[in-house]
Amino acid sequence: MGEVALECRGLRKSFGGVHAVDGLDLSFESGTVTALVGPNGAGKTTLFHLICGALRCDNGDVLYRGRRINGLPPWATARLGIGRLFQDVRVFGSLTVLENLLVGFPDQEGEAPLVALLGRGRVSRREADHKVKALQWLGLVGLADRSSALAGSLSFGQQKLLAIARLLAGGADVLLLDEPTAGVHPTLVDRLLTVIRRLAGEGRTVILIEHNTSVVLGVADWVYFLDEGQVASFGLPAEVLADPSVRAAFAGLGGRRQ
Amino acid sequence: MNYIWHILVMISIYAVLAASLNLVAGYTGLLSLCHAAFYGIGAYATTLLMMQMGLGFFPAMALAVPLTALLSLLIAIPSLRLRGDYFVLATLGFQIIVFSLLYNCVRLTRGPYGIPGIPIPSLFGVPVDTVFKYFLFSTTISTGALAILWLLIRSPFGRLLRAVRDDEVAAAALGKNVPAVKTMAFALGAGLAAIPGAMFAGYMRYIDPTSFTVGETIFILSAVVIGGAGSFWGPLVGSAFLVALPEALRLIQIPDAVAANLRQVTYGLLLVVLMRIRPRGIMGEYEFK
Ligand SMILES: Nc1ncnc2c1ncn2[C@@H]1O[C@H](COP(=O)(O)OP(=O)(O)OP(=O)(O)O)[C@@H](O)[C@H]1O
Ligand SMILES: [Mg+2]
Repeated sequence: MGEVALECRGLRKSFGGVHAVDGLDLSFESGTVTALVGPNGAGKTTLFHLICGALRCDNGDVLYRGRRINGLPPWATARLGIGRLFQDVRVFGSLTVLENLLVGFPDQEGEAPLVALLGRGRVSRREADHKVKALQWLGLVGLADRSSALAGSLSFGQQKLLAIARLLAGGADVLLLDEPTAGVHPTLVDRLLTVIRRLAGEGRTVILIEHNTSVVLGVADWVYFLDEGQVASFGLPAEVLADPSVRAAFAGLGGRRQ
Repeated sequence: MNYIWHILVMISIYAVLAASLNLVAGYTGLLSLCHAAFYGIGAYATTLLMMQMGLGFFPAMALAVPLTALLSLLIAIPSLRLRGDYFVLATLGFQIIVFSLLYNCVRLTRGPYGIPGIPIPSLFGVPVDTVFKYFLFSTTISTGALAILWLLIRSPFGRLLRAVRDDEVAAAALGKNVPAVKTMAFALGAGLAAIPGAMFAGYMRYIDPTSFTVGETIFILSAVVIGGAGSFWGPLVGSAFLVALPEALRLIQIPDAVAANLRQVTYGLLLVVLMRIRPRGIMGEYEFK
């Protein structure tokens, strides 16, 4: 068992009368993959918003390696090492595929205008180094040959892979993946799962929201089943998914997803 | 012949104005309506530093640039946190305030009388005293300013600006401090606008507030949009086009009084037509949403 990387304590968030997240106690160990499953509107995406600081919780705490991080803005939690894949992907549409990845690298001196002007040699050496790494990540998700295409021109599935590669390039320690396989071509799903396992193998913490049972069974160490903002069950994937009420929720999802 | 050099001087001034606004509006996606205010602050600051403190043209300009950038923070810091539409309105308000300060702080700016007798700039002791010399002088300065912009745009900083423009939520999730990035882009755009301000003051040797109105802001913005926001060459093409257009109208022998009105109408028409057929401008990269 690894140490606890991320912990949520009594987390609550409501929108008007809707209790989207209603007292969640969760913990995630480094080196593991945890799946969050549950019906639409269970509060999964809202939980990610709360963890990374895009939304402020009404109550409770988010702890990253023992440190309270609620109240920090998203860029600050990202710098601490919490990376995020959005359900609606969010690539930089007018940038090329390669540029999307290059933006993802942390601590770039060349992003300060003065350094960009005065330290050009240093900046361009760093850029060259990043380009090599970026192309490796793109190769991993099968997008190396599209590196100079505009990200906005890619299909949804390809944009998702691009967003994942961009996240990996950033080197985040905790990865919040909101439906990473939805819309991705089946041949690439396997590759994606291998990457996810490898990240956990390196000691990173992967938390994924997933609607596909076989993906959950194939990649997750632990599963939280969320319903109406609360933890309905928690355990090993095979156990949780064997629960009839969980199965019913999954069956209900089948027709809805495109 | 002087006439051609004069037009080229004006183009060199507007090229930097439009290109610096492009950094803010085209690359960062911040629709700012106070660029003429920064242009004016640059012109007045350079003039006053030369005339009141006895500085030469270059030292005065070199001080006017950071001064204008600093003053831009007065509007950037409170308003960049606002949502898009409110930001646009806040910059419009700033434009109006700056104009009215230039107009009403009579003791400093002489208000509507303007400031005449601005000293002729000189370079290595040689006064820049003919239109042709000024053409060489202003083209050199504007090439320098544009080179700085070019380097910024092509750097990781420029890439970050475009990323923020495309999706600031995604940029923040990658650890980018979006408000800080926007503030920096805004202040840089403002500081760079002070350079054409200085060029204009040194050329005209007389300035008054009417050169720095909301109308002027719209003119600069038109050069950006017509040329193509978010492309390096777009605003240069746009300003050459807009500055040369009235002269072309004059060549086809339209009386001056008519031409002045026709100019406004033509700009308006041109904008409407172009936005219909080429919403991204002549060189376009980025379309305002
Ligand atoms: N910004 C918001 N304003 C109001 N209500 C919201 C907001 N965001 C989410 N909700 C509501 O909160 C509840 C939880 O939404 P959330 O997006 O977290 O669900 P989810 O588990 O991610 O669902 P899905 O599987 O469809 O992605 C839903 O009832 C949703 O309508
Ligand atoms: Mg969701």
